[in-house]
Amino acid sequence: MADVSLAHRATSRFEIRAPGIWIILAALLLVFATTTPRFLSAANLTNIGLQSSILLLLALPMTLVILTEGLDLSMGALMALVSMIVGLTSAAGYPVPVSIAAGLMVGLAGGILNGLLVAKLDMPPFVATLGTLGMAQGLAVVLTDGQSVVDLADAIPAIFSVAVFGVPLPIWLSVAAYSVTHYILYHTQFGVSIFAIGGNRDAWKLSGGNVDRCLIGVYAFAGVMVGIAGFLFTSRMSAGHPTASLGMEFDAMAAVALGGTSFEKGNGWLFGTVLGVLAIGVLRNGLNLLGFPSSVQVVSVGVLVLIALFIDGLRSKP
Amino acid sequence: MQLNAPPGTPAVPLVSLKGVEKSFPGVKALSDVSIDLYAGEVHMIMGENGAGKSTLMKILCGAYTADAGEFHYKGVPEQMRGPRDARRFGISVIFQEFSLVPHLDVAQNIFLGREPKGRLPGQIDRACLYREAQRYLDMLGCDIGARTQVHKLRVAEQQMVEIAKALSQDARVLVLDEPTSALSDRETEQLFGVIRTLQTEGVAMAYISHRMGEVFELGDRITVLRDGKYIGTKLPFETNPDDIVRMMVGRSVDMSYARNFCETPGETIIEMKNVSAPNGITDINLVVRRGEIVGLSGLVGSGRTEVARTLFGADPISSGEILYGGKPFRGTPTMARDGGIALIPESRKTQGLALIRSVRDNMVVSGLGRMFPKGWFQPSRATAAATSLIERLRVATPSPFRRVGNLSGGNQQKVVIGKWLNAGSQLFIFDEPTRGIDVGAKSEIFALIDGLVKQGNAVLMISSELPEIINVCDRAYVMKDKRVVGELSRGQLTQENVMRLAVHHG
Repeated sequence: MADVSLAHRATSRFEIRAPGIWIILAALLLVFATTTPRFLSAANLTNIGLQSSILLLLALPMTLVILTEGLDLSMGALMALVSMIVGLTSAAGYPVPVSIAAGLMVGLAGGILNGLLVAKLDMPPFVATLGTLGMAQGLAVVLTDGQSVVDLADAIPAIFSVAVFGVPLPIWLSVAAYSVTHYILYHTQFGVSIFAIGGNRDAWKLSGGNVDRCLIGVYAFAGVMVGIAGFLFTSRMSAGHPTASLGMEFDAMAAVALGGTSFEKGNGWLFGTVLGVLAIGVLRNGLNLLGFPSSVQVVSVGVLVLIALFIDGLRSKP
Repeated sequence: MQLNAPPGTPAVPLVSLKGVEKSFPGVKALSDVSIDLYAGEVHMIMGENGAGKSTLMKILCGAYTADAGEFHYKGVPEQMRGPRDARRFGISVIFQEFSLVPHLDVAQNIFLGREPKGRLPGQIDRACLYREAQRYLDMLGCDIGARTQVHKLRVAEQQMVEIAKALSQDARVLVLDEPTSALSDRETEQLFGVIRTLQTEGVAMAYISHRMGEVFELGDRITVLRDGKYIGTKLPFETNPDDIVRMMVGRSVDMSYARNFCETPGETIIEMKNVSAPNGITDINLVVRRGEIVGLSGLVGSGRTEVARTLFGADPISSGEILYGGKPFRGTPTMARDGGIALIPESRKTQGLALIRSVRDNMVVSGLGRMFPKGWFQPSRATAAATSLIERLRVATPSPFRRVGNLSGGNQQKVVIGKWLNAGSQLFIFDEPTRGIDVGAKSEIFALIDGLVKQGNAVLMISSELPEIINVCDRAYVMKDKRVVGELSRGQLTQENVMRLAVHHG
């Protein structure tokens, strides 16, 4: 047994948690900044921020879900349903706050359903959220027979582009969402329970903790964030759209994985997810500017995730 | 029953269990066991595998409920209905497998579920959390940062965190289950330091150990259990290691089985030469010859299963060599299977069988490549092969298509053996072959094993049941701390000899 002194290996708070994502983000910025002159313009950077804001709203709660060794496949479909509800209520003449509230309620309901299925019926998260995905997707399409809803109140599209102190509202919302999620994860007992349930569920039970309440809380939180994301999405599209957001949960999972959060043992960190979202945003934006089609973007996100996990894996090898 | 009190302790024990009985389906785990713990004492609990130590400790901490018996706290009878009661009396257990959350930090683990509350609802007072955690760590005199994530700590440090956690719950009684089994010498010394500190603070400790050295170094009293019965309590200066070993062995033999032992073993089938492996086993030398049943004995965790896995190619080796049939063998489980090595694992239900599949499917699965070299599965041939194995092994099943999960333990074990016979195996490695099998079926399993070696095969048998090793094996190796510490010939095989090597007191 090596005679390791305890002192020098004490707290390492400044260690870089997931070097992979930092390297990738730096490399992407370097490549696009040198190859595309427009990339570093203020307008384009703002654009990246705007494009990333919706993904971040999904990726933050996805991090919490994954920390509990869970998964939420229903996000994109639930977003579509939210978008349709927002669109339909607005088209029916209800005021904008009512549309927002209705959208949030739909998101929350979907999240609570996921939570109940996972916690109370003990379903594997993959199956439970797949069921919710199916239901939400079906409902979203059935409401208008697959047509998008375009006759919205003028205020809804305006919200996406309104600027506060010179910064677009969605970016402010992202900052707020990060702050709230960070607080929940690192400063509350709920946050501790999230790590504990993923890391050692029995330990949490033996400490008198309530597993079901935590799981329902996590999925419900995800539902609310999906509600917000769905509203922003509607605002950005200027329409309630029944299919455009499908599959966004995969980008969210990719962002979480890129950020160095493991799908096992409650091992992860929230800020990594922000970096992961930015990396995906930068990559898509850059490829767009260079004129690559979106199919290439999808492939490259996949490659990015593999590279990041490879770099992190190198480090964890003994 | 006379329980000696250690000298210089309070008149009344802090906690005691009196006349405890506990049965599990088919097993009497404890009968009429009593034990008491005084404040400030380290009470060593010894006994071989299955003696009832862990069951007794689980009753003490409320994880099990006793069928009969009393719990006294400071001499007064009290109810002990579950972990909550145990916590109320300040009883805490440090298990071998820790109840820590790997990616939370030390402080969060110490106060898991009991975080100091902040001003806002649900908020944690982080300043208070880290301050308090550091206080308990300092009390133990260990140099661990409260903000370090637990998965970065070494086993010994994680153990300290567990102890700090217990102290923070105001533990007055601490149960330590083989705490030094994963520690280096230096870490062990540190732990002993902490235990002595706790002693002066008046904490009562029940300490399960297999190491004679630490039992005499640390123990104020030594209690020995055997077969779920209380054997005796000794003060260290009035006894010696040989005495303790004598108290530990002599289990009643609940099997009536006799075989003709192998006088003239055949050629060597497998040999390990100075084998060390990353799974922990160190410098293993071992020989198995055709026609003999070789026992591999030792306490749980001594490295027996690791030897089996290494022989089967499931774990890699780092130095030394394995000779199989005279040729160097360094392979994978697939190569081991094709070469004629069979591993009958301890956990039949998860590692040996596909419970929801039929008897036939389980029996042919390892021999598929041999039976159907072209890759086309022929159901009728598989059924015929299974039917003949069922007859030969006398498996009690109405048909080859019966789900294996519906058979009894003994018949399941026969299916596993049949599976390997069908694969053409010559060396059979059994890991606890009679685990979960009732007494009647046990001798039938041994008759089968005997049949295997009589036909010129070889058997290596791991067993925690000393009587099995003594009555069945032609020869046995004894392991301790991942090393082979002795080889006993047929004539030397007695429970006392095996146990003396297994607890190895020099």
